[in-house]
Amino acid sequence: MAWKKYLLTLVITAAIFATAFYAAWRFNQARIADIAATEQSISIDILSSETQFDLLGNLDCKTIEENDILSDELNSLASRLSVAEQNLGSDNKQVILLKKQYSLLQIKDYLLLEQISKKCNLKPVYILYFYSNAGDCAQCGEAGQVLTYLRQTYPGLRVYSFDYNLDLSALKTLESLYKVSGPLPAYIINGRAPIFGFKPLDELQKIMPELKTLATSTTPTN
Amino acid sequence: MDIGTSGIYVCLFLAVYFEVFLLISFLEKRPSKKTKALPTRYPSVAILVPCWNKGDTLAPTIDSLLEMEYPKDKLSIVIIDDGSTDNTFEAAQKFAHNPQVKIFQKKNEGSKYSALNFGLEHSDSELVGCLDADSFVEKDALIEMVKAFNDDPLIMAAAPAMKVHRPRNILELMQSVEYTFGIFYKKMFDNINAISVLPGPFSIYRRTLFSIVGPFRKAHHTEDMEMAFRIHVNGLKLVNVHTAFVHTNVPKTVGALIRQRTRWSRGFLENSRDYSYVYFNKKYGNFGMLALPLGLAGFIAGLYTAGYAAWSLSSYFISKTYSLWQTHVPISLSLPTQPPQWLYVIDTSMLTFLIVFTLGMMFTAIFIGQRISGTKLTLVSFVSYFLLYGFVAPFWLARAGWDTVLSKERGWLT
Repeated sequence: MAWKKYLLTLVITAAIFATAFYAAWRFNQARIADIAATEQSISIDILSSETQFDLLGNLDCKTIEENDILSDELNSLASRLSVAEQNLGSDNKQVILLKKQYSLLQIKDYLLLEQISKKCNLKPVYILYFYSNAGDCAQCGEAGQVLTYLRQTYPGLRVYSFDYNLDLSALKTLESLYKVSGPLPAYIINGRAPIFGFKPLDELQKIMPELKTLATSTTPTN
Repeated sequence: MDIGTSGIYVCLFLAVYFEVFLLISFLEKRPSKKTKALPTRYPSVAILVPCWNKGDTLAPTIDSLLEMEYPKDKLSIVIIDDGSTDNTFEAAQKFAHNPQVKIFQKKNEGSKYSALNFGLEHSDSELVGCLDADSFVEKDALIEMVKAFNDDPLIMAAAPAMKVHRPRNILELMQSVEYTFGIFYKKMFDNINAISVLPGPFSIYRRTLFSIVGPFRKAHHTEDMEMAFRIHVNGLKLVNVHTAFVHTNVPKTVGALIRQRTRWSRGFLENSRDYSYVYFNKKYGNFGMLALPLGLAGFIAGLYTAGYAAWSLSSYFISKTYSLWQTHVPISLSLPTQPPQWLYVIDTSMLTFLIVFTLGMMFTAIFIGQRISGTKLTLVSFVSYFLLYGFVAPFWLARAGWDTVLSKERGWLT
């Protein structure tokens, strides 16, 4: 009987499994590091924009319009964070920390958007979207797909998505400020009263007539 | 991790264990190369050719036997027409005047074993071989076999290395890769004395074996497998002669392939049930401790993986369809506006790495099989094997399992 060979095979098989686990872990760590670096970069961008806004107090809005001071990276960060969440799980501590930082960056970006809009009389189109992946929102997946489609179709649309259950005081304040307490998903469109429950694409487009003011991804833009 | 995925990890563990075991066996004892040395003696050999409706292929099969490099007075061929309804008997008459060939006709008894036993009764050679009437031997195949018997008097039976005869269509090419892998793993199982089948095409037996263990049995239409089981149970020796090549015709259609493999798989299950006491029994060495348990685990793992994949895919498509119906988002085939970042596009999960490892080791095993057999597999063969095998194999596994559970009787040829 080849007991030694059985054992050696077991050890090598276990080593292969350990190597696969380690390789997957290294890639996940690389993703976490990449997201953290991007978040830091966005954080600096927002701080810079806020400072720039303070400095621009006396400048005309043409400069603001010509220099897109709002971060474009937030959107791409969302999908990257989603990949990390799928691989590591939504209850992973690193993922939760990154989501908190991401939510804070979104709130700051949103506040900056409001400030600039008021000062320069701009009419941005934005959605604050509240979802949950704790099993209490059966159609949050579908809602996410609709919003992704809208964002791809209207690059000017800003979508801020928040995990309703994230333990973050700034987020809780935002939720209470807008009275987000009903069944999820919830949408706040351009600062109007929250809309609760899933809305398919055509219905959401009806609710948001402002979308027509935005250029679509297929329309040539300057 | 959900239970379903955990099951896949268990299946992968078994697959990796099996492949690692084979590769260690290979590194421990590499198969010897064919030499030009001739046998020290030439024992008398009778090759039994049982045939049922093999009118098309019988003549070339017999021709290949007659062309073998072996003393004519030591080699006889026994054709047993097992109640054919086609022109098999007429095709056999071509050899009626050849003193090396004996031709018999008998009534079909529903399974191949009776034809083999008939042949045993009508021959008296020292070694007895059998050859399916759709297979063709290489000229030195018998010499290679005889050398093995001469070298070790304890050897009671020997299995050859099987290749697919002139693979042309996709299914045949797929099977040519499978048979090449088989050449490798059967030799590795020989290293640990755990061969589990003596295939119909050109397995050779010492006649004394039958006086010890008895004649062939029906054995759920897999008499070749049952004989290997019985040899192990009796503590006798069987080997694989990787330098003796036989070319066999393989099923050309999906239906025929599924029927053939259902018979083989069911034979394994039924014989496993008959010999259940061999499982995990140290008395039967690596055959009982490794070959049979791994074979059964492979059967279950194959079915489980196929079931899980089918369930996952159908769930995915159902949920996608439901989402489209719910969201009213149009299906878009447009490419992303920005190049995707590879770190977020490529699946780098543990499961992916394990699948890559498993496939890599399988490639290595097939490559070694190619080296041993001198087979040259084409890219199309590999593509058809890796794309097609996983889709068709679950059908015969499921059918064999189903038939076994229901004890459903299917004939030898269905």
